[in-house]
Amino acid sequence: MSKDERFDVVVIGAGPNGMTTAAYLAKCGLSVCVLEERTECGGACETQEPIPGVRIFPHAMLMYASPAPGFEQLELHKHGFRMNWSPHDVLTENTDFACTDGWRPITDKDKLGWAKLGGLLGTPPFTRDLMRATFWCPPHPPEVEVTDENVPYMQVYKQHQPDIWTHELREMTMLDLLDEHCETEHFKTAMAFAAWASGAAGHWEGVAIPAVTSVQLLTLPNTGNRSIPRGGLHGYFHAIHRAAVSHGAVVRTCCPVDEILIEDGRAVGVRLRETAAMGGRTIRANKAVIAAIDVHQAFLKMVGPRHLDPGVIQKIKDVSLKNQTLYVSVFHTKTPLKLNAKFASHQEAKGIGSGPGRTPQLGVYPCDSREIYYENVADVDGHKGQPVVPAERVMWFHGPPQTFDPTDCQASYKRGYISNAFEVAVTSPDLHKEGEDALDRYKAEMDAYMRKAYSQMVDGLDDANLIHHWSATGRDVEFRNTGLIGGTWCGSRHDEDQLWTNRPIQELARYRTPIEGLYHAHQTSGHPGGLCLMAIPYNLMHILIEDGIAEPGDWWYASPWYIPQHGKISARRG
Amino acid sequence: MPNFKYTSEFQFDPSDPFGHMQEEFPRRSEFDVVIIGAGPNGLIAGAYLARAGLKVAVVERRFEAGGGLATEENLYPCYSSNPHVLYHMMVDYMPAIRDFELDGPALTWIRPNSQTGMVFEDGSSILLARMANDTKDSIAKYSFKDAVTFGKVVRKWRKIVDDIIAPATYIPPMAPIEITMAMQRTPVGQEMLELGELSPLQLITETFDHDKVRALLLYASCMWGLDPRETGLGFMVPLMIDRAMNKCYCYGGSHKFASALGRQVLKGGGLILEAATVDKILIENGRAVGVHLFHEDRELRAKVVMSTLDPHTTFLDMVGEQHLDAALKESVKGWAWDKWSFNTLHIAANEKPKYRCDDPWIDQAFATVVGIEGVDSLLQHWGNVAKGKLDLNAFGGHSTCESQFDPTLSDRPGKYVSMFQIHAPYDLEGGWLARRDEIQEAILARWRKAAPNLTPENIVSRSMEDPEEIEIRFPHMRRGSIKHGDYRPLQMGYYRPNEHCSSTRTPIEGLYVCGVSTYPGGLVLGGPGYLGANSVAEDLGVKKWWKPTPEMDRYIKTYLS
Ligand SMILES: Cc1cc2nc3c(=O)[nH]c(=O)nc-3n(C[C@H](O)[C@H](O)[C@H](O)COP(=O)(O)OP(=O)(O)OC[C@H]3O[C@@H](n4cnc5c(N)ncnc54)[C@H](O)[C@@H]3O)c2cc1C
Ligand SMILES: Cc1cc2nc3c(=O)[nH]c(=O)nc-3n(C[C@H](O)[C@H](O)[C@H](O)COP(=O)(O)OP(=O)(O)OC[C@H]3O[C@@H](n4cnc5c(N)ncnc54)[C@H](O)[C@@H]3O)c2cc1C
Repeated sequence: MSKDERFDVVVIGAGPNGMTTAAYLAKCGLSVCVLEERTECGGACETQEPIPGVRIFPHAMLMYASPAPGFEQLELHKHGFRMNWSPHDVLTENTDFACTDGWRPITDKDKLGWAKLGGLLGTPPFTRDLMRATFWCPPHPPEVEVTDENVPYMQVYKQHQPDIWTHELREMTMLDLLDEHCETEHFKTAMAFAAWASGAAGHWEGVAIPAVTSVQLLTLPNTGNRSIPRGGLHGYFHAIHRAAVSHGAVVRTCCPVDEILIEDGRAVGVRLRETAAMGGRTIRANKAVIAAIDVHQAFLKMVGPRHLDPGVIQKIKDVSLKNQTLYVSVFHTKTPLKLNAKFASHQEAKGIGSGPGRTPQLGVYPCDSREIYYENVADVDGHKGQPVVPAERVMWFHGPPQTFDPTDCQASYKRGYISNAFEVAVTSPDLHKEGEDALDRYKAEMDAYMRKAYSQMVDGLDDANLIHHWSATGRDVEFRNTGLIGGTWCGSRHDEDQLWTNRPIQELARYRTPIEGLYHAHQTSGHPGGLCLMAIPYNLMHILIEDGIAEPGDWWYASPWYIPQHGKISARRG
Repeated sequence: MPNFKYTSEFQFDPSDPFGHMQEEFPRRSEFDVVIIGAGPNGLIAGAYLARAGLKVAVVERRFEAGGGLATEENLYPCYSSNPHVLYHMMVDYMPAIRDFELDGPALTWIRPNSQTGMVFEDGSSILLARMANDTKDSIAKYSFKDAVTFGKVVRKWRKIVDDIIAPATYIPPMAPIEITMAMQRTPVGQEMLELGELSPLQLITETFDHDKVRALLLYASCMWGLDPRETGLGFMVPLMIDRAMNKCYCYGGSHKFASALGRQVLKGGGLILEAATVDKILIENGRAVGVHLFHEDRELRAKVVMSTLDPHTTFLDMVGEQHLDAALKESVKGWAWDKWSFNTLHIAANEKPKYRCDDPWIDQAFATVVGIEGVDSLLQHWGNVAKGKLDLNAFGGHSTCESQFDPTLSDRPGKYVSMFQIHAPYDLEGGWLARRDEIQEAILARWRKAAPNLTPENIVSRSMEDPEEIEIRFPHMRRGSIKHGDYRPLQMGYYRPNEHCSSTRTPIEGLYVCGVSTYPGGLVLGGPGYLGANSVAEDLGVKKWWKPTPEMDRYIKTYLS
């Protein structure tokens, strides 16, 4: 057998966070090896073609990452990054929201309040700074007391929109904040739901701003908005992948890691599982091992109780997976889906009917009032079982159509019509009271339930018109991608107990671990959590610079709100 | 680091608060080489040229590079398979695999001994193995004479492959008269020329006596599209049979091969641009100067454009008839598509197929032919297909359980992904859309007859790709042409795609062709891309960092010097 290979850094997992980390470190001139369990890199950032000509985004589909420093720092434009700009804006055009009695308009106060919270009324680059402060800044070091003065987004508001800065801001829920700044109930309900589906829910205290900004990453005119990258988020991932490889990173697929090798309290490499597509089974890391895989697997299995104290183990076990599994449906139908009578007035405006705009973009339904939202949240996070909310009141959302682009399957598929994804939040399989495989057993029933829910608004999901219903349950998700623990889309909730200096637990909050040379960089483990933001790797870079592992060139800039750890090298230049 | 030049401003404006926050790939850019299509050939050409220091962009229409080298979750959710390339025929010869060291940690090739089995309705079977004596043992069940013949003949055939056909795959084509002269130099060459006179059917029936032996070898010879009755390509039979004994599986799926090649493009500083559809090859003053992308108003300009697509797409759609001289136009318009296509059923099941037959090695075979009872039934099936028909009571095909080599294809533990592929007409009588379900059931029934454990309860997911869908996935595989065009004497060797272009250079300056419609042709041989890279390196005057393989050297010394 060959000799063990050696690299400066070994990254476990080639999801967006692992690959972005590899790109950053390779650009620093380090030798990097990325090990991925699946045949394809990308983690939950992928595209599939289940039947020829039909593209499905099983997981990530929306572009939240626009303000990321990674675009500039990794020069993704040179690596082929392109957006597919939709001619439609979310909040400038389609300003009606779908409720059980039909469309309800939103008001200027809604729009202005929302714009103000998002920094559109201040001086640029207010919005970008606000977003970067919230997501793209490492948590403060443990010796620094977190206060209203030093929380990054608080600093940005204070500078650009002082009337929003209050001592209550960090106590509030997003709904509290919307009550103050916006007007209509259906707008607030829709935004609270969107926030829940983007990580930090609308009714959680202490995360009002992360909740608001995560939705704004999708709705403000200068962010991704309703547009997605060419090739979907997988296309965006490809640009990162290309950046990593062209800076020299070595990427190995079908190479699941079994164990992190720890010698004398230090991570020195990894051992691969025996099914790995490689002769050598041990890969050594001179400087660092980075676990870009889920926090449970990384610490409970790969590091294990031999190296961690029981208190930490318990805390890691307790990382809350409550934050919904997304039950994703895509439909193949004989005739296009149409809005039913109650909503038909918007057929034209929403681009439905024949021609290129033949699938509707529906946003969120039903947004009548926050009671519906509460009912849905309680069903998913409280009841821990099969849904009890009647299908008529299930809240769901619908991905943006790509029909404006003739190269997309939704616009050009010849054998029927392909919908964009419909998603409903359901209980995480791991928390399901009837066992983790309950979703497998109920799949047919759940499919029917989902179709009934969507049929509140669209016609065409009847047996006569339906050719195929692709559905991926949280249980499928868990098997498809080991990183998605609990089958949940972000792995663990983005609430106050698990965000910023508490993510995933205080002991691990700055991407360091009790094992020297071992760092973590996965959505389940690092601030700011889920979404394909290139944020965890950017934040982690600060720490790797502090520890003398990464020495970036002039292209690097640290977060303006970053506070160096005492006694370490500052990641700020100049 | 990709090293290309910006030739104009991009649309990103950092000072515009409501403008886009992220910068994008520019609307106008400049390269040395732009390659259309990131299939195996485009990637190979790109990898060689990028490492040679040229600025290379490989432009790909799909969301994923790889072309036929695809591994996808077509049994969504949770089960993947290889919808197109599954059998890798030239791993032991392909220069790209050696030059880029793609048989170490980067890629793992599996070459099972039990290669191609054939099972018959009465429970008997026959097996083509990598090790000749295992094949002989299997043939001996029917005819000791055939077994002895096989032992002798494959050694001779192997020599033809090893000395001539395999190395010649990676050397520019020669006109027939030159080949005849060169081959006269050795007895092996002379023998090859003699074989060329025969049709596959003649060669096999003249060599072997037993019907089942003939059926297996004829299937192996013609499954990739040789006409069993056509003379002039008999020399392909030794190649096809030798290759049928040496197929490899790419662990992790065929796409892993594409990814490994793609990373070589990137490592050399090249760029791969997916979700980018070329609609025009830009021609200025009779010269190809770049490509234009559909729906995104982007132009990539280049000194050299290489197309890996079929001749119609390249010359009629992208270049435009007005730029073609009469001779080229005529030969492009006369291009013949593949005589048949493939229809493939993929399944995920609780078990791997267990064939009801007299040889346990059949269950481990890389490919198992089912439904063919002898030469007559095989010819009848192919005859039907050529006429646009499928007789659902009499047809056959080959199947493979991919999961037995590759646990990574199934995300759910303990499940097996398998496929059953039949030769099938593009213009099916009755139409594919109307007859799909019926055909799917018939295939399953036939398969189940041979492998009774494939019960409905055992099958957890299935998905079928018909010839029209091959064209939907890859519009340049017109009429489901898996090789972008038929194998027939006038479209082979020096004439693939025609005598003007088979060297990979075309009458249009700056334009090269190097997909499987160019010499040496179809399947993942890695020939066209390699030859294209050689031509471009020579014409642009860059130093080749690579050398011919030892087999090629030997061939050049013996036959060309
Ligand atoms: C249904 C759904 C919808 C979503 N929608 C969006 C959206 O619209 N927009 C958005 O931005 N985000 C969205 N997300 C979230 C986003 O996809 C994730 O936040 C993101 O992929 C997390 O990246 P990651 O690198 O941390 O982890 P992952 O993507 O989980 O990657 C981890 C990688 O590690 C690999 N791995 C696991 N174990 C091992 C091992 N032992 N050895 C080697 N490799 C291993 C995995 O195979 C995987 O490739 C969605 C997610 C889901 C599930
Ligand atoms: C069902 C099936 C099974 C097969 N099985 C095998 C097998 O087992 N073994 C084997 O060796 N071969 C097999 N083949 C044949 C093999 O797939 C092809 O011969 C091979 O892929 C051709 O390689 P290529 O690089 O020349 O072209 P391709 O692989 O066809 O790649 C061309 C690329 O160009 C892209 N493209 C098309 N139009 C445009 C455009 N306008 N702009 C930009 N890009 C474009 C395509 O998307 C594609 O990626 C099979 C084929 C099929 C259909």
